[in-house]
Amino acid sequence: MAASDAHKGDVSMRNAFGSVLAFLILLLIGVLAFSIRLFSVIKYESVIHEFDPYFNYRVTQFLTKNGIYDFWNWFDDRTWYPLGRVIGGTVYPGLTLTAGTLYWLLNSLNIPLSVETVCVFTAPIFSAFASWATYLLTKEVKGVGAGLTAAALLAMVPSYISRSVAGSYDNEAVAIFALIFTFYLYLKTLNTGSLFYATLNSLSYFYMVCSWGGYTFIINLIPMHVLLCIVTGRYSSRLYIAYAPLVVLGTLLAALVPVVGFNAVMTSEHFASFLVFIIIHVVALVYYIKGILSPKMFKVALALVVSVGLAVCFAMVAVLIALVASSPTKGWSGRSLSLLDPTYASKYIPIIASVSEHQPPTWPSYFMDINVLAFLIPAGIIACFSPLSDASSFVVLYIVLSVYFSGVMVRLMLVLAPAACILSGIALSQAFDVFTRSIKFQLPSLSDHSHIDAGDASSENVVLDDTIKTDKSEDTPKERTTKRSKKKEKEPVEKPPSKSQLKKRLSVLPFEASIVAVFLLVLLVAFYVVHCVWAAAEAYSAPSIVLTSHSNDGLHVFDDFREAYAWLSHNTDVDDKVASWWDYGYQTTAMANRTVIVDNNTWNNTHIATVGTAMSSPEKAAWEIFHSLDVKYVLVVFGGLVGYPSDDINKFLWMVRIGGGVFPHIKEPDYLRDDGKAFDRVRRTEIGKKYFKLTHFEEVFTTHHWMVRIYKLKPPKNRIRGKNKRSKSKTSSTTTSKRKGTRRNPF
Amino acid sequence: MAPSPSRPLLLLLFLVVATLTASSSDTNDERVEELLSLQSRSKSGIIRLNDQTLSRFLTSVATPRPYSIVLFFDAAQLHDKSELRLRELHQEFSIISSSFITNHNVSHPSRSKLFFCDIEFKESQFSFTQFGVNALPHIRLIAPNHSLKDSQPMDQGDFSRLAESMAEFVESKTKISVGPIHRPPLLSRNQLILIVVAFLIWIPFFVKKLVSGQTLLHDPKVWLAGSVFVYFFSVSGAMHNIIRKMPMFLLDRNDPSKLVFFYQGSGMQLGTEGFAVGFLYTVVGLLLAFMTQGLVKVKNVTVQRVIMLLALLVCFLAVKQVVFLDNWKTGYGIHGFWPSSWN
Repeated sequence: MAASDAHKGDVSMRNAFGSVLAFLILLLIGVLAFSIRLFSVIKYESVIHEFDPYFNYRVTQFLTKNGIYDFWNWFDDRTWYPLGRVIGGTVYPGLTLTAGTLYWLLNSLNIPLSVETVCVFTAPIFSAFASWATYLLTKEVKGVGAGLTAAALLAMVPSYISRSVAGSYDNEAVAIFALIFTFYLYLKTLNTGSLFYATLNSLSYFYMVCSWGGYTFIINLIPMHVLLCIVTGRYSSRLYIAYAPLVVLGTLLAALVPVVGFNAVMTSEHFASFLVFIIIHVVALVYYIKGILSPKMFKVALALVVSVGLAVCFAMVAVLIALVASSPTKGWSGRSLSLLDPTYASKYIPIIASVSEHQPPTWPSYFMDINVLAFLIPAGIIACFSPLSDASSFVVLYIVLSVYFSGVMVRLMLVLAPAACILSGIALSQAFDVFTRSIKFQLPSLSDHSHIDAGDASSENVVLDDTIKTDKSEDTPKERTTKRSKKKEKEPVEKPPSKSQLKKRLSVLPFEASIVAVFLLVLLVAFYVVHCVWAAAEAYSAPSIVLTSHSNDGLHVFDDFREAYAWLSHNTDVDDKVASWWDYGYQTTAMANRTVIVDNNTWNNTHIATVGTAMSSPEKAAWEIFHSLDVKYVLVVFGGLVGYPSDDINKFLWMVRIGGGVFPHIKEPDYLRDDGKAFDRVRRTEIGKKYFKLTHFEEVFTTHHWMVRIYKLKPPKNRIRGKNKRSKSKTSSTTTSKRKGTRRNPF
Repeated sequence: MAPSPSRPLLLLLFLVVATLTASSSDTNDERVEELLSLQSRSKSGIIRLNDQTLSRFLTSVATPRPYSIVLFFDAAQLHDKSELRLRELHQEFSIISSSFITNHNVSHPSRSKLFFCDIEFKESQFSFTQFGVNALPHIRLIAPNHSLKDSQPMDQGDFSRLAESMAEFVESKTKISVGPIHRPPLLSRNQLILIVVAFLIWIPFFVKKLVSGQTLLHDPKVWLAGSVFVYFFSVSGAMHNIIRKMPMFLLDRNDPSKLVFFYQGSGMQLGTEGFAVGFLYTVVGLLLAFMTQGLVKVKNVTVQRVIMLLALLVCFLAVKQVVFLDNWKTGYGIHGFWPSSWN
């Protein structure tokens, strides 16, 4: 006994040491997650990326300047001229509020950072949070070791990096953290049955709803897991506590977000949760009655309760079906439908099918985005099945659903990434566990000792050692006891695994083979690290607002976009309207601070079609359309000189198609003729008309590499002057136009 | 040898005059009436033409005819050749025909402007040569003022998306809208009722079993196999193959006797390719799990050693192969960022 006391002291010492080590490792993982995303800042500069982040940046600026109430009621008259846009009611405010809070916090601590800096670094900060949340989540499933491995994997998984490099200030940056954290709190509640965590879970769900439209994944995944637990006979009061408050509180909170509002109870995406809510109550009632009645009475009551419960269920289902059937799309949004029926979008919604994010991925996409994790996931799934607990079944469900969805739409790879990291973390940690144990107990110097261990004399040592490895924190023993008690009341399905677990602890693999295996695993993980760093540095860090190209004579930087926007903001009137294709709308409003006609929030198809029609009409007709919209300047992007492939000519057929969708006189075949002699370097073809003169537009600015060209609408000509001009000599007409020019210049 | 176009035409006219002396002087209205009655006799509204009726409704009518005809060239002996998709296309053709009829009732002016007909090779070889059709599938639109030769064939692209794209073709050429396509439901009404009833009967039994906990659902092995299968299915990009209707392999363009199983370029993949790599993805994880969960329980050390080394070798080769294939397919050169002094 004395020996065992000494042993205990030793164990607690090692426990404390382990906790400190785990904390340090987590800290380093956070640093890793943050710093691997800084490649974009190092290679380019601290700048907001792409298109949508510029809008979020502008909203954040507005929030920090005017406060939250003005933000909530913000009607933006700088976009969608002359319609405007209600920003407060149409954005997911989570990201903006988060960055706004960060900015306010830092400034109240007298750390003077600009809004832009805060926005640029929000995503890396939240990826560190996300990896910590992954640690917590995986710890709930398989213990500390798996948690640390999963956190380290998530810190650098390329799929997540692609959406969260410094400067990519978009909803997903914070939403993935919220997603993982919500799942963690759900599992925590499931393991502890604590109402405190259940409430936190609802709040975390609220944050997720605030942040991203992808919250529907949570509100469908958790009910599915609950249903799965009920169907496989795993119902417990902890399950009830984990689920019921989430539905009630979560739905109420979700309805507070203006952009969701009544959708939280009206659309089919949420109906699954209500259905399961009813079912769990029926099941809870059955279990309750089972508890208070004798077995014989219960059998009688069961028939009654089941029939009543089923009747209630059917009534509710009928109401739900009637509700669903009354809406034209059966209550499902096009994107959700294309997840259920993968061929739906390609058949019926070309706009969704045409977006490159919505394409189904091929196998290289998986290798690019989750890399070697793709190899480890099956092992993780199997590890989760032995033994199957509530938490591990949730993780399995998560990976199965997300991997299926990612197979339909490549953008959902982002949702798959955390699940992939969790399961690979479990797999890796288990493999290392087995292999290092095999090495440790068969080391030549310890061979006698290990033989005794491996024999049946004293297995205690080995068992203790293993528990140190897996259960370092204080609350896991408690959780383990609850699991034990739960196992006792459950059917004997779970007993064999736990027995086999005991046996497994004694068994080892051959020494040399284990060394080879550990070596190969380390090699695999090293390859993962190299791949992730490469992906972060080369593939996912381009801001797409500043472009670079390497050639024989060194690095070329194309900063034409900002040049053009700066020109607009310095040389045009504050209230001038600028027309461009919708891709550049957010950037124009954010960087040039000028009113645009359409932007990336493509909510009004007719308006976009009007711009598309103008872009694809002859000069006079285009002038008339633009003039009717009060447009002063037209911004076009031209890549023909420097070979920038995604310019307006590249998008031109979409302008024609979208324009033609509303204005039938625009027909696609009219634009597909081929009669040209000049040469376009991007498309390697000759262009049609080379020498043309504009009569209704004039070029006012062209950037350094000709990538952005800004044209100004000439004022309408006076009819009398036009008549006079025809009779006048050439010189006098040039002087009048010059004079006109000087008069127009103040704009 | 092609006969001059006028000779068969004359011959036909003669034939028509000889056989159908009474009807040769028919007015156009009567022809339309006849077509409508033929149409009502057919289940899907497709009119089966042969050499005689074809000449009666097309060649012997002075242009402009009061109607357009969409003609499907069918050959029953080729129905079992699956790569031609004749059966499927004919099915689609009848769907668009019946949709047209349901969308336009008899009094609708467009109803008598457009007719869907088909023609069988065995019965009417003469018409096939008249149209110059020597490859199937072939669908042709004969507009009111077209002669047989300058009628417009549908391109491959026009029936790629089945009834929808066929309807678009017809709409763009004739300016007559077909309207929404009504596909027959997957299950008929009675079948649906039967299934619902069976389901309702089955529920109480299921609930009883569920409560006692002895269904297949309670077996974790089923769930395990299911989840690993879904994983394999998804990472192999099978969804891509289904949505894009990718073939399992292609014929090599340069050497038709060779098959191409792997397509270079990351935007597209072939069926076999996806499943092969999906298998490699999955097998490594399964072997790893086997080593850590199953093999440790084996008592015999030699067996353990041999199997483990074998499994490790397979894993190593699988990973290596995937890395190689990925680099080949995407053309990325993944490299580390080592200190410059190391070079």
